[in-house]
Amino acid sequence: MAFFVTGRIFGLICLIAIAGAVTYYIRRARGGKVSQVRRLAGIDAITEAIGRAVEMGRPIFCSHGISDMRNATYGPQTIAGLSVLSFVATRCVELGARLIVPCRNTEVWPVATDIVETAYKMAGKPEEFNIDDVTYLSSDQFGYSSNYLGMMMREKPGANIMVGAYWAESLQLAETGNRIGAMQVSGTANTHQLAFFVIATDYCLIGEEIFAAGAYVTEDPVFISSIAGQDFGRIIAVALMILGTILFTFGSEALINLVDW
Amino acid sequence: MAEMLRRIEIPIAITIICTLLQIIPFYIEVKPLETFSDTFRSWMILVATCALFLGAASLALLHSKKIQRRSLGWQYSILTLVSMVVIMLAGLPIPEIGLGVDNPVFDFLFKNILTPLGATMYSIIAFFITSAAYRSFRARSNEATVVLVAGILMICYNAPLMTSIWPGFTPIGDWIFSIPNMATMRAVIIGAALGAIALAMRVLLGIERGYLRGGEE
Repeated sequence: MAFFVTGRIFGLICLIAIAGAVTYYIRRARGGKVSQVRRLAGIDAITEAIGRAVEMGRPIFCSHGISDMRNATYGPQTIAGLSVLSFVATRCVELGARLIVPCRNTEVWPVATDIVETAYKMAGKPEEFNIDDVTYLSSDQFGYSSNYLGMMMREKPGANIMVGAYWAESLQLAETGNRIGAMQVSGTANTHQLAFFVIATDYCLIGEEIFAAGAYVTEDPVFISSIAGQDFGRIIAVALMILGTILFTFGSEALINLVDW
Repeated sequence: MAEMLRRIEIPIAITIICTLLQIIPFYIEVKPLETFSDTFRSWMILVATCALFLGAASLALLHSKKIQRRSLGWQYSILTLVSMVVIMLAGLPIPEIGLGVDNPVFDFLFKNILTPLGATMYSIIAFFITSAAYRSFRARSNEATVVLVAGILMICYNAPLMTSIWPGFTPIGDWIFSIPNMATMRAVIIGAALGAIALAMRVLLGIERGYLRGGEE
């Protein structure tokens, strides 16, 4: 006999509703009805940054944050960063640009290596892949950042793309990138680091935009439609906020009790 | 057989099974599933720990190549390798022969080299903040002016000298921090949570494959 865990039932209902909406939009797109989503300047800028670096004859740095893939809160950001890496690697191989991927996590490093290597293989240029360019730097946060800064100062990349979960090293990396004149595209859902990325990089993907990036860059209608499914969740969130404000103003704790159900 | 093992459906299936094994016990109380999920998490930590050896091997290979080729800064590679080997050996968990976290060499390296280096890197953020603020706090547009004014007010709110000159900075700072700032942060957090759910659905349905060999078959 199975029992629902008390206090999580309402969350489960919301999760099922949002997941259902995303699935519905994906199926709808497969049926030919494609949703329109707004253009994201930050994601469009990734291609521009790669092109600029190629014209300048400089390498491109692409990192995916310092979290692992297991963490429930930060792991999805790493996955989003790896999806962006996949896109960047494909573009770099097409344009013949050198891609450098600094890694902090030993369990993410083989995945990043595989992604870049596959991009070279798919383009029919496996011999051009250099494993040393996807490099594990250090598991220590500041060991990683000091290595990253040093590499940037030596290699002088034309573009620095950072999408994933970043902490205190975010401003160090972004400011150094700015100092060497790299075009920078950043993105994180860590609210405490967003301010740093917004002021120090050319384009910043804020919060949910990084999760959309992987789907957005593919230009696949099915992927893009899944982003539209998020709007259903947004409607639920706004409706609950308005309802909660009204109920609480009139002294009712019904919604609080419902959320704790 | 080898061809079959290389199929992309295998990692996708592993991802789906592992995800469901974590999600179901979170919402539904099924004792055997909870126990299995706990054991599974312990295994996950073990597997992830094994990846540390990969990292160490990668570092050793990379720096050995640098030394071999006499690449730029190869002397630093010697330092890196020596440091890595010394701290690894000193920190080996064999207390019977005096190794481990209580080893004096390990203790010395940790307290007198690793910790100050980390603290140095952390503290230089202050200089990066100053240079970023100097460049960004310019009233070039209406939005930038709002950021500039809010930034100045927050600096005054956090500086004891300013609040002692005019105590009014305290309620203004509190208001900026707890009303517009909090509202924005909550909006970003809610949006990010929704984005993560959509990403999870794409992963579970096997259509988000960017994290798997770039999604190629």
